[in-house]
Amino acid sequence: MSAQSHAQRQAKLRQQSSGRLMIFGFLSPTLAILLFMVAYPIFSLVYYSFFNFSALRQGAMKPIGLRNYEFLLTDELLWERFIFTGKFVFICVVLQMLIGIFVGYQLQKNFRGRDLVFTVLMMPMMLSPVVVGFLWRYMLNSEWGIVNFLLSSIGLSKIDWLGQANAALWAAAAADTWMWTPFIVLLATAAFRGIPETIYEAAEVDGASPAYRFFRITLPMSAPVLFIALILRLIDSFKQYDLFVALTGGGPGSSTETVSFAVAKTAFSYFYTGEASALAVILLVIIIGLSMILVRHLQKMGEKF
Amino acid sequence: MTKGTRKRLMATGAAFAALMAASSARAETNLTFVWHAGTCADALMDIAKDYPDKDVKIVPALVPYGPQWHDKIASEFAIQGDAFDFAMWDSQSTAEFASHAVKINDIFDKSSYLKADIFPPASLSRYGEYPDGSGEFYGLPANQDAYGLTYRKDLFEDPKEQEAFKAKYGKDLKVPQTYQDAKEVAEFFTRPDQGLYGWAQMGGRDYDFATTASNSFLWSFGGELYNPATFEVKGYLDSPASIDGVQAYVDMFKFGPPGSTNWGFDEVNTAIQQGQVAMAMQWFYFNGSNADPKVSKFADKVGFGVLPGAVGRDGKFRRQFSVGGQGMGINKYSKKLPELTKFMEWYFQPEQQKRYAAVCQTGLKAVLESPDWQNLNSYNKQFSSALAYLNDYWHLPEYPVLLDELQQEISAAAAGTKTVQQALADAAAKNERTLERAGYEIKRGESTPEVPDQTISPVGQDSVVPVE
Repeated sequence: MSAQSHAQRQAKLRQQSSGRLMIFGFLSPTLAILLFMVAYPIFSLVYYSFFNFSALRQGAMKPIGLRNYEFLLTDELLWERFIFTGKFVFICVVLQMLIGIFVGYQLQKNFRGRDLVFTVLMMPMMLSPVVVGFLWRYMLNSEWGIVNFLLSSIGLSKIDWLGQANAALWAAAAADTWMWTPFIVLLATAAFRGIPETIYEAAEVDGASPAYRFFRITLPMSAPVLFIALILRLIDSFKQYDLFVALTGGGPGSSTETVSFAVAKTAFSYFYTGEASALAVILLVIIIGLSMILVRHLQKMGEKF
Repeated sequence: MTKGTRKRLMATGAAFAALMAASSARAETNLTFVWHAGTCADALMDIAKDYPDKDVKIVPALVPYGPQWHDKIASEFAIQGDAFDFAMWDSQSTAEFASHAVKINDIFDKSSYLKADIFPPASLSRYGEYPDGSGEFYGLPANQDAYGLTYRKDLFEDPKEQEAFKAKYGKDLKVPQTYQDAKEVAEFFTRPDQGLYGWAQMGGRDYDFATTASNSFLWSFGGELYNPATFEVKGYLDSPASIDGVQAYVDMFKFGPPGSTNWGFDEVNTAIQQGQVAMAMQWFYFNGSNADPKVSKFADKVGFGVLPGAVGRDGKFRRQFSVGGQGMGINKYSKKLPELTKFMEWYFQPEQQKRYAAVCQTGLKAVLESPDWQNLNSYNKQFSSALAYLNDYWHLPEYPVLLDELQQEISAAAAGTKTVQQALADAAAKNERTLERAGYEIKRGESTPEVPDQTISPVGQDSVVPVE
């Protein structure tokens, strides 16, 4: 190696290392905040989950190994919460995706007043879930609610929406769908409008029917965006808590308690801090696992399109 | 700098320092309190505006009634914070919060006015004593309350209704003294085609809605939540007498508006204020608004009474219902105890408490014993009678867990997803599991009584004792 090439190599290394240093320098404040805001709580969560510990009734923290996990995973009541949460997520996500895509497809077309309709449709999404919960609680009141008033005015019998387990599930799903379908509409409209017009024109020249164009062009080409919307709604529905607090209080019985509801109750009403930490860890693992599967699928989809 | 300039500068500096010192001495002290929003919190705020020390300001941190209220206090205690200085908490929460509250006995020892004997002993014990009978207090009876009966006077006093009732049931139409009578009266007035129902009560899943109501039936029929001496729940909470009581509670929903199984106090109030029900089981706390013509269309038509009792399966008559209201506790992490003690010495004077008693229920003996207190409104007289029949939940630190478990099951029974027997058996199993996990040793007896009230603080009487 000549002296010149050695000097060149040294200069390149210096340049590279100063570049790395600069990258690290820029990233480090964010990394430090992330470490403090995310890593530390997660570490604490995992740590406390191995203890019999209450933040309110402060006594000695007793290390109990995996007993919190053992108790939770063998608790039939918790499995009932998972089953209910699964049903709720399934109903909400299916309804929101179907309605959201349909409405989004209509809104991608140019028509007079489209922007106004779009803005009005977005309004539920801007409300707090607690507000939505109380709003629907009043609307679904069996005696004075607008929903039963409308039902009885067309000759149908009143429904005890929040007093019966099955009806309460559908009531909660309806409230969540009302609130979050606009989110799907928003993403779907953006995705649909991003498809080049020339593709539709070519398809039209080839004699493709509107249904054919929708299923063979619109849906496949917007699939990655729609899939992201699906992932976000899945995760968010799985974590739903505040809507149930305001709408049903978890009842009747414990029939509308989601897993997140159980976490919050265990942590802040019961103050079983160790047990709540273990439950939060279980929930975290499920959400991370679910997200990883879906993100991998999304990557494959991205390669395909 | 000349000598004169230096002098002037020094004088200005001294004047500025004196001004700063004076202003800091007059700095405002905020005493923050946590309570649930409502008439009584408004009354406290209204009275506090006249506190003579204008440097002390009473600041509300109000939350809706329900778990958020409990959780707000508990969360602050958990971090040993001083975001609030005092709080009103439920009588049954004293056990849970005692380790984070100032022991009021210390204040009684130091204060010249604030002494235990200015409150009725039963009230002081109910809202502040922990453990029961220990003489250690962590709260003052700031807002007493009891479950009561609200009824449509116009219906009960209507000669046509009286005649029709007598023809159907062979007895006079009267404000019921037993739940057995209440069931007949409720059935009589249940006329869905006229939009009228016989009975309204809470059955909601939230916080303590269903259980404060169902416990009142359970105790009146001779049931108990548990045996405080042995910590047995099985055999007590699901005893035949407890099942009778909760079954009677569930049956009363047949005479309530459709969907009332998930009602809270708001819905019960609306039903009263719209004249939709002939009778309602409601807290005295709400009588202020239910008797206010600006709020209720039926304000002049409703009467207030004491809840019925029941004749249990052992033939004994009992009248027991849930205590409501809150004690005023002090956050031991607050740094403003001297200012707070002074405020409390002022606030618990008869003058202030008389103002409070005009809308809510005071715990100050001087006011409760004054001859004009009973005539301050249309329900104090009945409230005074009701105080003799109060009962409470478990006075244990595990109260929120035990409550939630019982709420789940009573709500399920009210909704019809479980039989009363199954719901109470499940609640008993859950409660025992909670007690065992908390380290209580359950000493199982050889047998459990059919009517637990015969062995735990018996209150049964040989015949129905009416309350006028």
